[in-house]
Amino acid sequence: MIKIENLVKRYGPLVALDHLNLEIEEGEIFGLLGPNGSGKTTAISCLLALLKYDKGNIEVFGKTMTPDNYEVKKQIGVVLQNVAVFDEMSVRENIDYFCGLYVSGKEKRKALTEEAIRFVGLEDYTKMRPRQLSGGLLRRLNIACGIAHQPRLIIMDEPTVAVDPQSRNKILEGIKELNRKGATIIYTSHYMEEVEQICSRIAILDHGRCIAQGTKEELKSMIKTGEKITVEGILMEEENLPDIRNLPHVFDVTYENQELTVRCSGAKHNLVRVLNYLQEKDIAFGRVFSELPTLNDVFLEITGKELRD
Amino acid sequence: MLHLIKYRFICTMRDRSSMFWAIAFPLMLATLFFFAFSNLGNNNLKTIPVALVKDSGNLTASTFVSFLDEMEKDDSHIIQVERLSEEDAVTQLKENKITGIFYAQETPSLMVASEGMEESILQSLLDSYNRNADMMYTVATEKPFGLVAAAAAVSDYRELVQETTIDGKEVNGFLQYFLALIAMACLYGCFLGFSTALELQANLSTLAIRRSITPTHRLKMVFVDMLVTFAVHFVNVMILLAYLKYILKVDFGRNMGGTVLVCAVGCLIGVALGIFVGSCGSGREMVKVGIMLAVSMVCCFLSGLMIAQMKNMIEQYCPIVNRLNPAALISDALYCMSIYNNPARYGRDMVTLLIMAGVLGLGAFLMVRRERYDSI
Ligand SMILES: Nc1ncnc2c1ncn2[C@@H]1O[C@H](COP(=O)(O)OP(=O)(O)OP(=O)(O)O)[C@@H](O)[C@H]1O
Ligand SMILES: [Mg+2]
Repeated sequence: MIKIENLVKRYGPLVALDHLNLEIEEGEIFGLLGPNGSGKTTAISCLLALLKYDKGNIEVFGKTMTPDNYEVKKQIGVVLQNVAVFDEMSVRENIDYFCGLYVSGKEKRKALTEEAIRFVGLEDYTKMRPRQLSGGLLRRLNIACGIAHQPRLIIMDEPTVAVDPQSRNKILEGIKELNRKGATIIYTSHYMEEVEQICSRIAILDHGRCIAQGTKEELKSMIKTGEKITVEGILMEEENLPDIRNLPHVFDVTYENQELTVRCSGAKHNLVRVLNYLQEKDIAFGRVFSELPTLNDVFLEITGKELRD
Repeated sequence: MLHLIKYRFICTMRDRSSMFWAIAFPLMLATLFFFAFSNLGNNNLKTIPVALVKDSGNLTASTFVSFLDEMEKDDSHIIQVERLSEEDAVTQLKENKITGIFYAQETPSLMVASEGMEESILQSLLDSYNRNADMMYTVATEKPFGLVAAAAAVSDYRELVQETTIDGKEVNGFLQYFLALIAMACLYGCFLGFSTALELQANLSTLAIRRSITPTHRLKMVFVDMLVTFAVHFVNVMILLAYLKYILKVDFGRNMGGTVLVCAVGCLIGVALGIFVGSCGSGREMVKVGIMLAVSMVCCFLSGLMIAQMKNMIEQYCPIVNRLNPAALISDALYCMSIYNNPARYGRDMVTLLIMAGVLGLGAFLMVRRERYDSI
């Protein structure tokens, strides 16, 4: 449904997007994951034909995207990273305004507006002006303005920043619900948990390049880490590290601030072997846990740095 | 389309800070001016009550008395004379029942209790008499019946009254102030235009980004925004005009149609200027507001908003500025409508204004219709 080919965008000397390739299918919740400044917003602005780009090709619904492609624009809903609402209008008026730019017919617009208000849970605030809303409520208004017209494609640029966990979950559920009703969703975020929770396919961006793309299972299978064992509150000598490193299937060991991290490729009994070794050497330790790899590990292994904010 | 117009209208109306400059500020200034110059108009000049204390038996004195009688009978009803004894006159003057006391003596004199507009009119009457006293004297002694004609002959008092104010400005200068004020109000439409530009140019505000990715035809959006902003501001200026005309009773002459037309073109220039400056480059908002304020203030200053003489001085030393300064052109065109009735000059002003409005409007439009940006 969306095809981005070899997209290059420069801001002067800075290359914000470096030969970006993305393909998004109808019915997906597609996650764009990347740290600050990785080019997520830039990619979306190009996709919406708002930014000039230096090279590349963008197709939406099988048509080349241009600013005056109003038929295509009509089917897209956008929730921008920065809140974009009129301070001079109330919550309801704002939603009604944006909805009215997409759909005609007063009755239909009214119904859609009410539905959007319910969707984000702003029923108690309909008469308020945006400046009277808290940051989180404002975000929710921003979302409502973007999705009120029930578009076929919804683009959300970090919509849940500053929203409390409860409302965030509600919004994420809502997004899944929209998706079930048939909307394709592009969701950018630097919260990997969110992306992992709702996205069916994920592209990881860094420095304007797509460094990995696929379902989360595919992404995780791309890396060596199959299991990550963390041992907290442990006191041991540096000389013990090579021993642990030499245990079967272990390929990376770090010891910092009394915390031991052991990365192993996927195999059975990794944890037992590590614990046995610690017992053998009579090393005391606190909490121990073992995790499956996260997207953070994927990012870490490919770029050598953490994804965390 | 209606949807767009409706919400644009709501937004513009609720944009408090811009609306303050576009309507509240001019109204306030108008009221201020009014109090500062009250009672200065030709038509609403009040009849000034004066006392006449007569030193009988002196011929010069009786000539002065006849002169005052003529004045009193004159259509313009400048003064109302009451013959009083000196004591009574002084008492009344202290009680503010009369503005001044004329002493009909060898050399007529005037006593006033304070300084003000009316007092200086009385002074100018006296001066006018004294300057022509000799002629009066001759006429009075030789051909007493000709005194009426003689009084008419010295009737340049009329102009004197019109021209003399406390510090020697033209009385009509006060109209100049109000016309300059209207010009200012027109130009202050730039604040409304500025807000409009911010909401249209995607590199200036998130809201503009949000609006440019909706399926609204770009030209339609630009057109509606410009139109509504202009309409709102035009109504603003009409409110100001009505306030001046009906509440403050400023006389704009008979040709109100012409006056309204000038206002319309003026608003167009103001709004277009705002959009143009607003959408120029991506500089900081405060810088642009500063530029805009400076431009409009300088224009207004040069057109005589603060000092009525300003425009005349420029006309003398550097007339081209008056030909190009929109504020001066607007107030001049309005002046033509209210006082001069000079269609040629009005026409010339209007043509220049229209060209300006056209250029600015087109420039603003070209700036704002952009769809894609290098950087947002
Ligand atoms: N208008 C601009 N002018 C110059 N550089 C820009 C501009 N906008 C963005 N950039 C640069 O382009 C790069 C990508 O920015 P972008 O906003 O797309 O990042 P992002 O992935 O959305 O980050 P975030 O998570 O913080 O929203 C950054 O390095 C940023 O500094
Ligand atoms: Mg961003």
